[in-house]
Amino acid sequence: MKVVELKAVSKSLDQVPVLQAIDLAVSAGERLVIFGPSGCGKTTLLRLVAGFLAPDVGSLVIGGELAARDGRSLIPPERRNIGMVFQNLALWPHFSVRGNIEFGLKARGLPRPEREQRVAAMLKLVGLENLARRKPGELSGGQQQRVALARALAPHPDLVLLDEPLSSLDPALNDRMRKEIVRLQETLGFTLIHVTHNREEADEIATRLIGMEQGSIVERPLPANA
Amino acid sequence: MSKRLTLWLAVLLLLIAGALPVLDMLLRSLFIDGRFTLEAWNGLLADSRQWLLMRNSLLLASLVTLFTFVLGVPLGILLGKTDLPLRRALTLLFTIPLLIPPYIVAVAWSGLLQLLAPGGDIAGAWLFGLPGCVLVLSTVFLPIPLLLTQVLLRSVDPQMEEAGRLATGWRGVLAGITLPLILPGVLLAAVLVFLLALGEFSVPNYLRYAVFPVESFTQFSAFYDFSAATTAALPLAGVALILVLFEALLLHRHGWRLHSAGGGIDFLRIPLGRWHGGLLLAVALAGLLFILLPIGTLTIQSLGSYGEALRRAGGSLANSLLFATGGATLLATVGFLIGYLIQTRSLRSWRAVDTLTLFLLALPGTVIGIGLTGLWNRPLTDIIYATPLIILIGYLARYIALTSRINAAQLAQIPPSMEEAAQIAGAGWYRRIFFIVIPLAWRGLLASWLVGYIFSLRDTGITLLVHPAGAETLPVRILTLMANGSPALIAALCVIMIAATLVPAGLLWAILASHRNKRSGEEVLA
Repeated sequence: MKVVELKAVSKSLDQVPVLQAIDLAVSAGERLVIFGPSGCGKTTLLRLVAGFLAPDVGSLVIGGELAARDGRSLIPPERRNIGMVFQNLALWPHFSVRGNIEFGLKARGLPRPEREQRVAAMLKLVGLENLARRKPGELSGGQQQRVALARALAPHPDLVLLDEPLSSLDPALNDRMRKEIVRLQETLGFTLIHVTHNREEADEIATRLIGMEQGSIVERPLPANA
Repeated sequence: MSKRLTLWLAVLLLLIAGALPVLDMLLRSLFIDGRFTLEAWNGLLADSRQWLLMRNSLLLASLVTLFTFVLGVPLGILLGKTDLPLRRALTLLFTIPLLIPPYIVAVAWSGLLQLLAPGGDIAGAWLFGLPGCVLVLSTVFLPIPLLLTQVLLRSVDPQMEEAGRLATGWRGVLAGITLPLILPGVLLAAVLVFLLALGEFSVPNYLRYAVFPVESFTQFSAFYDFSAATTAALPLAGVALILVLFEALLLHRHGWRLHSAGGGIDFLRIPLGRWHGGLLLAVALAGLLFILLPIGTLTIQSLGSYGEALRRAGGSLANSLLFATGGATLLATVGFLIGYLIQTRSLRSWRAVDTLTLFLLALPGTVIGIGLTGLWNRPLTDIIYATPLIILIGYLARYIALTSRINAAQLAQIPPSMEEAAQIAGAGWYRRIFFIVIPLAWRGLLASWLVGYIFSLRDTGITLLVHPAGAETLPVRILTLMANGSPALIAALCVIMIAATLVPAGLLWAILASHRNKRSGEEVLA
């Protein structure tokens, strides 16, 4: 089953073409990594899928439903059941760790007992049970990454988008977080689209790897040992 | 060394202009005939009229804060965060009352109500008193929460809003993410409005509502009772100090660090969809009713009286323009240095200096005027007190908070590495300031000059009390002519005053607009 399908999608920003006739389908349970240099259109592609942008031309199907077509967004971001970890994490500083994870569950109208159970499960999954009351500013970089992951995963999304969330980490922490992402995906079984400019990171996370160059997709085989 | 010396000189100037007169007033209330006594304070506490004045002052300030907060924040969101058509023009329209002397708005409302019910006494029954003061001051101070909300909304990281949009619609994002993030700043706007309304003299004076600044002015100007005037002024200084400390301690501590995301998406706008037309109509009607109608009435009343107005007040207009230019230059220069000090924290006392500037802004102009008179009205210091220099010192004390904060905000946009790179290259501090910092921060410097010009031009409280003979400004001249001038003459003078203010304000707007146009990546997010 296809979770996401982009058909002949093109997008320009400030009259500059960023994506050009992209065709892409992502299957359920896949860990798709989009690899490419800065400015090649990776983030724009993720923002299109999330619903923050609409394609100028082409169509986007999410979970079998037409989500956007030819400049019009038909399903708003909050109804696409997507989780996302942003490049700068975008943790809300006025909420605690618990508040950050719980926000999306409250917005979806989940009853309190279920919210508490899910928050507890997420905290356990990312190993932050003891830090639930802390504010994001009181956490280390790695802990913040895990809060961002827990926040994205708590509503049980069909699809999780990761926009270079490891780019600012030191090599050791980067390596640990890669393993963490793979572990979480294998545990929960969600579909993952991860963008990065780090080839080593791409090879370690991907079950399928594609490259992007100047707004177009270039298929790239995974190394034999991946 | 040159850096620390220059910054200390700027701080010293601020202390002499603002802190010393207030300290002098406090000491005069505590030491009478050379001995320490609490007589003045005991008299103040025992006098029931003082409590009535305090009640009136606090009631007026509270109601004005409530109205400006309840109307200004939603209006700021509507004009600053949505895709409402004509939002820039409407923002400019709502900002006009803040730029002109507040009593002109009161005169305009009085004219409008007279026009609506000629021969009747609607104006007398309704406008003169607390309701009229609340209406006028709410119109005057509404732009503060409105503009500050807009500025704060621009500083929220759009990715935080996008993270919220994955879970909920714009209403939920505004309530759960955006508004809590800007709340400390919005509360600061509320504190500022409260303080400015508490210290406002000209409107309650014109609309005959008994509050502390009017009492203080009356004691000083009518009876020249310096002790009574000082005593009436000090409770206001006390309230101002408490609120400024509250701002410094509580709001600073709970202020979230707001970011602009940098490359890519800088700002997200909320699409109004089918609400476009209705909301535009509602906002435009509010602008028409609260701003265009009163000022339009004033303009109509003024027709045919401009010749007489210029004949009777041409010299005052020239004084106003001259002092405003001098005041703006002083305010921009010292404001840049204080802003640099606050932004770079170059001296350990930076927070105290920042708090002092806000405290001085919060003090009523009449209180600063009385303090300056008490301190400088001596034969030895006639070279200052008997010349327009005293007016410029007053402007510096009262409005330095505005120019220093504008410059600090602009300097915050410049990466510290810019100046550090010049330092590594061997440039001294003055060279770094003139060749690196100022060329990068010129917009803030210019904006602070224009804000200094506008606020110096519209000042009434300080100038009224300290202007030397022959140095009367236009707002002061209008106030004195109100006693015996015809309504048409007063209206003409008010329109001249508005024009003299709006020309530089238009310039400021153009600069800010061109600055904003250069920002990229603005998006309307479905």
